Amino acid sequence: MASITLTNATVEIPIYNARGRSFRSNILRHVGGRLEPDNRDVVIVRAVNDITLSLKPGDRLALIGHNGAGKSTLLRIFSGAYEPSTGTAEISGTVSSLLEITMGMDPELTGAENIVLRGVFVGLSIDEARRLIPEIAEWSELGEYLALPLRTYSSGMLLRLAFAVSTVRHRDILLLDELIGVGDMNFAAKARQRIEDMMDRADILALASHDTNILKQYCNRAILLRQGCVVADGSVDDITREYSSQSA
Amino acid sequence: MAALDGVAMGALVWPTKRDWRLAASDMVRGLLAWEIWTLLGVSDIRQRYKRSRLGQFWITASMAFFVASTGVVYSLLFNQPIYDYVPLLAVNMTVWTLISGIVTDSTTAFVQAGMYLRQDALPKAIFVIRVLTRNLIILGHNIVIIPLVFLAFGVVPTPVAVLAIPGLALLIVAAFAVTLISSLLCTRFRDLPQIVQNLLQIAFFVTPVLWRPEQIGESAFYLVALNPFAAFLRIVADPLRGQVPDALAYANALLSTLILFAIALPLFARFRARIVYWL
Repeated sequence: MASITLTNATVEIPIYNARGRSFRSNILRHVGGRLEPDNRDVVIVRAVNDITLSLKPGDRLALIGHNGAGKSTLLRIFSGAYEPSTGTAEISGTVSSLLEITMGMDPELTGAENIVLRGVFVGLSIDEARRLIPEIAEWSELGEYLALPLRTYSSGMLLRLAFAVSTVRHRDILLLDELIGVGDMNFAAKARQRIEDMMDRADILALASHDTNILKQYCNRAILLRQGCVVADGSVDDITREYSSQSA
Repeated sequence: MAALDGVAMGALVWPTKRDWRLAASDMVRGLLAWEIWTLLGVSDIRQRYKRSRLGQFWITASMAFFVASTGVVYSLLFNQPIYDYVPLLAVNMTVWTLISGIVTDSTTAFVQAGMYLRQDALPKAIFVIRVLTRNLIILGHNIVIIPLVFLAFGVVPTPVAVLAIPGLALLIVAAFAVTLISSLLCTRFRDLPQIVQNLLQIAFFVTPVLWRPEQIGESAFYLVALNPFAAFLRIVADPLRGQVPDALAYANALLSTLILFAIALPLFARFRARIVYWL
């Protein structure tokens, strides 16, 4: 059974300036005179602040908030990439995170080689990924382009390929940072169909978006984030209303 | 050591039970994900030589050029017979390239994998093993020089050569620990890769790669017996040249491996989860 449980999860990301990252200044700080009372070399960004949250199968969570409110970082906690610096995050179930779908694709390698390279990261074996090449060639409408290096692709073609590979596996938990707009009108409709299919099959969905219509269509619960904190939790209608009244 | 963590959380604390458990699971899952690390290792090599006609055989060709040119110059410089010196150089350089390649690549293992680590809960060990895979592929390309050189200079291999296999195995095990330590610290301290590069340069000259310990005399003891680089070089290179490595080399290599793991495991357990914060 898929579930996500955050308990007082906080993500504090230290930002080291050039001096903070250097080994020398760390040595000098110890052999030098008095220590600075506050450490000015490190700026700490609290991207997610003390969030307690639990998601169970059937939950379709909308993440709402301004840029920099912590939506993406929260999604990265859900994916397991960020383990909270304090507090805990327990994630059970397989995760499909479509946050950066072009992750790991290599411009020098051909489309087909990239299907395999990307495929192993979405949980396919090399053989499975190879067998999927014809299917992906057809679905993405890239056909013979798959024999060419990725650097020859237009950005639209690249996205089509990345999207096609990233969505071949259905997982328990689906994470989305904005709905991915892929390609021209015909293709976008096809892509939308595919992602809706993925959403239907996923136990848990978390979707960050600024488009309230999309959130209302796909989600049944919403949280409003501000400066890394959950400031409201409730129905999508209530939360989107609260968000737009704040923005106004 | 609070500086290592970056966050003002006080002193460096020993990893908790949970840290150990997660670190162990990371390594086991990382080892089992062999399809990912072989694919990454192969792609690294393939990508590097993709648009060149000779492709990855540039690795072999570069080594051949190096051995040929350095072999001639140094055999004259050291006043050594060329049929004796070139085979020695070919074997030593092949093994040294493996060692130095791993150490160099280790400094960027996690930084290079940033895009993966920020998005998915992938075992960090995958990217450590990827470095080893990549350099073993390079070794595969370089090692073909050795039979060619042996053939050219009439060196007959002896059955002792099989001892190179356990030697290489121990080297790889130690390299895992080295890569773990170096990749983690180099992600946190971005000056460290430059320092490592410089130390490696020095290590090349104080390790008997280009020269024989006998040429130095008495003081060679310190450079050869106490130098872990020399120990790992000898347990792989000596058997290939038909010599049984001395017990001291094995003892040094084993002890170094133990020490490396004694550092690498707690370090990784404690800071594994922090790596992604440092990217």
